[in-house]
Amino acid sequence: MKSAIIVKRNDPRTEDEENELQMNELRELAAAADYKIIGEMVQARHPDRKYHIGRGKVDELAQMVAELCPDKIIFHNPLSTMQVYNLSEICRCETIDKFQLILEIFATRATTHRSKLQVELARLQYELPRARAIISILKKEERPGFMGLGGYEDSYAQDIKNRMIRIRSELETILKDNESLRALRHSRGFSLLALAGYTNAGKSTLFNALVDEEVPARDMLFTTLLPTTRSLNVHGREVLLTDTVGFIEDLPHWMIDAFRSTLDEIFLADVVLLVVDSSESLEIIRKKLLVCHETMWDQLQDVAIVTVFNKMDLISEDELAQRMLSLGYLAPNPVIVSAKTGFGFNELKVQISDLLPKWERISLSFPMSEKGMSIVAWIFAEGIVHSIHYDEKVSIDFEARDKIINKAISLATELS
Amino acid sequence: MFDIIAVDISGRHKTGDEYLMVCAAVAASVTADHIEKIKQIAIRSFRSKSSPDIPDVVTMVEETVSELKFGGTIVTEAGDMYNKPQWVIDSMFSSDFKYQESLSERRCIELAHHVSLGARKLLLKELGIQ
Repeated sequence: MKSAIIVKRNDPRTEDEENELQMNELRELAAAADYKIIGEMVQARHPDRKYHIGRGKVDELAQMVAELCPDKIIFHNPLSTMQVYNLSEICRCETIDKFQLILEIFATRATTHRSKLQVELARLQYELPRARAIISILKKEERPGFMGLGGYEDSYAQDIKNRMIRIRSELETILKDNESLRALRHSRGFSLLALAGYTNAGKSTLFNALVDEEVPARDMLFTTLLPTTRSLNVHGREVLLTDTVGFIEDLPHWMIDAFRSTLDEIFLADVVLLVVDSSESLEIIRKKLLVCHETMWDQLQDVAIVTVFNKMDLISEDELAQRMLSLGYLAPNPVIVSAKTGFGFNELKVQISDLLPKWERISLSFPMSEKGMSIVAWIFAEGIVHSIHYDEKVSIDFEARDKIINKAISLATELS
Repeated sequence: MFDIIAVDISGRHKTGDEYLMVCAAVAASVTADHIEKIKQIAIRSFRSKSSPDIPDVVTMVEETVSELKFGGTIVTEAGDMYNKPQWVIDSMFSSDFKYQESLSERRCIELAHHVSLGARKLLLKELGIQ
């Protein structure tokens, strides 16, 4: 296990509670990246241009590094290239910020070609604005040209841009494949359901419990990076449920762009299940819901949302009722469940089936014949049959999507 | 359902030698994720020689909102109030105030933004100001 010292600069006059929450999230992120935290440092001040924290605090940090010998210093606040360079020089230790830490987590978890491309794109997007400064620092001893104004910087930045274009075009191909897969699933009559929510809200556990699957679910941030889709039966209708990557506070836009193809699973679904960890305090739930609304609001078009208050087994009913009442304005269609015990799954399915694209209900009758029976078999496969009577004629009362109903009517008319 | 008044101000930059601003207030009933009904929209224009500070913005918002027949919590983007903490701004308003949070509140502010921007463009065109 690697070791790290975590550092956070708080803006003056900010709330202690919020700062502590952010620090806690950084601890969890560090743990998710397999770092053991051996030291912490906090300073309240406005950012310093050169070191981000105060010069005196940097010396204190350098002393701490000399004593504890960590592998890395991890900053909560975003650092500029010069700040990283200056801090690393004084402390003699590799220094990274929260976003680099997230990229590190993503890089270790990315196993498929698509996720590797997404992580690489996110890394390059992070690096591009810093590329010139990095090369400038690295090559300061050996600059070509008069007065050292040679061309290393531009060629490196151009190289990054070219690589980004290549990855983007490859991801676009994947995106098109996904789009056609989604269109195919819709045309086959499947409705799409997506699990969304703050990281570590219990999405994967809920996914496993609902569809009886074994995707990795751990008490750790960013366990899921790649979407997994499985079919789920909701009161007779087959829907496709997708488990997705979790949201996090201050997720930079370049990271959202890089994970576009994964997040599209949420934005283009028919119903989104917004999972909330209800065992947390009211204020934390509110903040996390806010992050979810902020991430989704611009992309979500006419999609129904069900707010799933998960982990209800960890708190009392009164507490939960209180939280749901206070969060009503942020939690559409709330449902209480426990992914661990299976409590509330029925109510969740009722809520989902209410919000799925509507199916028509119709009664048909046609002669009992070999062809008639094949229509019955087809209707059983494509819709929900409420009642069926076999006599000289077959009378069937069923529910299905428009396309199936129209086809059934024309087949029945043909037979009679 | 919740009653809100989403407010947005366009034109907080110098045009010529003055600030020509348009404030739009949208009274709506919303749920957490949908706008249920838009009840009324009020638009007002403001002129100023100096850039607006927070008390000016609060006055503009209150004056525009006073033209509405419907009540509700005033909702704005944090940036409109120079990202000051909510409790600071809250105390300056005579009615309930909050920053945007839910999907529907954001959607309402998007609407108010387009209304104020469109109205300002029309106004500038009518006044012959480029």
